[in-house]
Amino acid sequence: MYTSPSVWNVTGASSLQHYYPLFVLAIAGFVILFLGTLRNSRRVFASITFGALILAALMIASDYNAGIIVPAYRINSFTTFFAILFIISGLIITYPALKSIRKKGEVFYALLLFVTVGMLIAAFSYNLIVIFVAFEAVSIGTYLMTGFSRSRRALESSVKYYFVGVLSTSFIIFGLAYYFFYFGTFNLVGSSALQANSTAGLVSLAFLVAGFGFKMALFPMHQWALDTYDGAENSVSAFLSTGSKLVSFVIILKLFLVGFSSIHQYVFYFFLIISIASMTYANIAALSQKKVKRILAYSSVAQAGYLILALVVVSFTTSATTISYAVAAAMYYSLVYLFMKSGSFLAVDVAGKDDATLEDLSGLGKRSPTTAASFSILLLALAGVPLTGGFLAKFYLFLSVIQGNLWWLAVIAVINSTISVFYYLRIMVYMYARPPKENDTFVLSYKMKVPVYITAAITLALGLWYPVFNWILTLSGGLFW
Amino acid sequence: MFLGLILLYLFASSIAAFGMKKSGYSFSLITTFVVMMLFIFLFIRDFSSGYSGGFLSYQSYLIPGAPGVRFSMAVSGFTFPLIIASTVVFLAAVGISNRERTTPSFYGLILFAEFGMVSLLVSRNFLFFYVFWEVVLVPVYFLISKFGTGNAARISLKFFVYTQAGSIFMLLSIFALYTYHSNLTGISTLSISLLMAPSFVSSLTAFEKGFILFGFLLSFLVKMPSFPVHAWFPDSYEKSPYSVTIVLTGALSLMGGYGFFGILFPLWPILKGGVSDLLIALGIISLVYFALSAMFQVNLKRMMAYASAAAMGFVTLSFGAGINLMGGLTSIPSASNAVLALSGGMFQMLAHSFIVVLIFSSLFIIVLRTGRETVMELGGIHRDAPRLSSLFLIGLLASLGLPGLAGFIGEFSVVVGTYGYIGALIFIVIFGMLITAAYHIWAAQRSLYGPYNETIGKIEDVSPFQFSILLTLAIFLVVLGLFPNMFFSLFTTYIGGLL
Repeated sequence: MYTSPSVWNVTGASSLQHYYPLFVLAIAGFVILFLGTLRNSRRVFASITFGALILAALMIASDYNAGIIVPAYRINSFTTFFAILFIISGLIITYPALKSIRKKGEVFYALLLFVTVGMLIAAFSYNLIVIFVAFEAVSIGTYLMTGFSRSRRALESSVKYYFVGVLSTSFIIFGLAYYFFYFGTFNLVGSSALQANSTAGLVSLAFLVAGFGFKMALFPMHQWALDTYDGAENSVSAFLSTGSKLVSFVIILKLFLVGFSSIHQYVFYFFLIISIASMTYANIAALSQKKVKRILAYSSVAQAGYLILALVVVSFTTSATTISYAVAAAMYYSLVYLFMKSGSFLAVDVAGKDDATLEDLSGLGKRSPTTAASFSILLLALAGVPLTGGFLAKFYLFLSVIQGNLWWLAVIAVINSTISVFYYLRIMVYMYARPPKENDTFVLSYKMKVPVYITAAITLALGLWYPVFNWILTLSGGLFW
Repeated sequence: MFLGLILLYLFASSIAAFGMKKSGYSFSLITTFVVMMLFIFLFIRDFSSGYSGGFLSYQSYLIPGAPGVRFSMAVSGFTFPLIIASTVVFLAAVGISNRERTTPSFYGLILFAEFGMVSLLVSRNFLFFYVFWEVVLVPVYFLISKFGTGNAARISLKFFVYTQAGSIFMLLSIFALYTYHSNLTGISTLSISLLMAPSFVSSLTAFEKGFILFGFLLSFLVKMPSFPVHAWFPDSYEKSPYSVTIVLTGALSLMGGYGFFGILFPLWPILKGGVSDLLIALGIISLVYFALSAMFQVNLKRMMAYASAAAMGFVTLSFGAGINLMGGLTSIPSASNAVLALSGGMFQMLAHSFIVVLIFSSLFIIVLRTGRETVMELGGIHRDAPRLSSLFLIGLLASLGLPGLAGFIGEFSVVVGTYGYIGALIFIVIFGMLITAAYHIWAAQRSLYGPYNETIGKIEDVSPFQFSILLTLAIFLVVLGLFPNMFFSLFTTYIGGLL
């Protein structure tokens, strides 16, 4: 029954070159660890990490149409797109993390690189065992990264994250077993059902989505995320809520559209409920929060709900154009989300203390108008206001929902997006309308400000540069082969 | 090319104004003035030789790689007067800005709002229409929250959420139109003219039509502001600085009216019946309810805010009634009542913009001189400041609809035109007009005339420079009242051209 040993057949030495980006990152990680035994210069580690990530990104970008390397490893436009996103999510936090990582910097940066390797493999792979191993590499690395801080809160959040993560792993393994039972293979491509009854397949899909959904912080599996995003260092929160979340999203996308393409119409309601619950619950819960990072954490749960909308559309419609449009909308949303979310987490650094409340941001508009303006751009983007990338992201996403004939779902999404305006604007109100406190703790060094500027500028540019979406539309086709 | 350059100039100036410290005021004043003059020049150039209905296209830039998205600019005999009115509004808003209290970003935001407003009125593509619709919203939000008084944070948030809720439903309607159009005809387009074609929309099912209309109506009614979705306006109008109040009442409410007459109007065969009856009801309720609310205000600014909203009630009413009076699909409206009602509503919008500019500018100067805003605390200021109080009086008289002034033409045409459809309900409208007249006169009588309130102390009259400018505006209101055909005929032709 199981006849796929070719998974492990790397044919010919020539194909090895396609793994070079992974080697670059892994070797850079070991070099950093080695340098760490000699002396502890965090700036050097950060620079090596940065250089290695850039190099890997360039190599991946130049290799985008390599095609099928082995059945388990496919380099195409779709996987390359997400691989580059993951690298960017690492790049964004490389320098900002310098501030918080005082001790054992080599471990942190090596972890960052190893996690990126895991993410890249998860992006490129179309075999569930490989994906699972890569996903675990990402998970274990991020458990450790979360714990990197001076405060006990980070430790607490790391432990919480770890326990929930273990649970999700067991879900995934359970789902994997059923996948094999149903399909007789771990490959996503070309799998055909062995069983006449699709129940086993659906059990597998539900458990796999639940397992990966934990990392994505979807509604019933989101509780860890609030504490973890809140307790971790800002740069780590930025990484968790973008890179690590998008990895799960990519895996779910591939599972859903490639692996389970024959039965995914049966789980329409499953995704529908998860999506609506994530958006609605998170948006309403965020209204009463006082801490900036908790607001952002809730918003991150809500954004996961928006992302899942694309899958709801796919499971509902049968039109191929609508499906590829929805996938492209989800890809575009991921792209914009990466910048706006990590930028806003990094902007909290400006408050200069852990556990920053809204009060701690009051008067930022007076103290540093440019920083406040950049942070506002990011928040407006999250709220979906035009001229920012967030608007176009929502635009295409909702358009795909309507193209799939899901009127009422679009209405729910729109109402949610209106509710979310409240809490994003509340942050802005504190920044602009409140006078600065006597003993404010703002840290307005360039290290804090520049990442916010850059992400805000990119978010703005994405909102003004319309052709990006069409380009992504051409990439999204890669998913299907 | 010319129009595009003006927009570009406005955009660049708004960015530049953010960086200016001392010279922000004079820079923005010059910019808004130049923009106004350019538009007047353009208006004379393109419309003096006669207007025969329809749209006058300027440029159309295809956005590379985005199908159906094209930045196309066109104006009609209806939108161009609105553009001129809004440039005047923004000029006045900059002119009366309180220089001591404002920071550079104030002028940047005002100019940015003007950029959004003008671009909105010239866009003939739904994507840009929506984008600029929101672009106006954001700077105004900041203007209220940053420079407003009272609980500015809460008020501006309310403003933002109300308008955002309206506009995001409009976005869904636009999506719906887009999707159905590409399903039916295979053409993916966001062009307003193509999507708002009655032949296309009437082929949709009742639910789809309702879904589409709901979004547009909600969004436009919020901006008007009209009765059930008006809760944001009294506070926003009152607590904003005067410049922003002028922008809100003079320019932002134009957006609602523009939505009705400029965007939705071609769909009149579909709106006819239930939807227009609803609009008539909302218009009458707004008119009477806001007039009654205004009567109980003692704060002059809040009173005028309600008066402004009541005046916009006429616009909603005229739109609903005018559509119901229309004849068959192809014929020029058989009853000239329809044309009268519709053109009256458009004229009312236009006149309203100029009137609020005069009212709020002169009120601002009164408040600056006396430091008081309520009717009771003022009194008899005509003694010390005759020119100032005369200006304010002209504004009030125009606002209550005195014949010979601009406000009369609109209200009169609407009343005469709509009578053919609403019949006896016209008495409610007349009742609203009576109340309007009553509190306007009461306010003028108590605050401007009567015994001088000695606690104010001696006040100065308006400076010659400000006087000459406001006098120009007042004279313009008279000219508009005596020779309404200057714009009225354009509106009539516009309606005829759309059929």
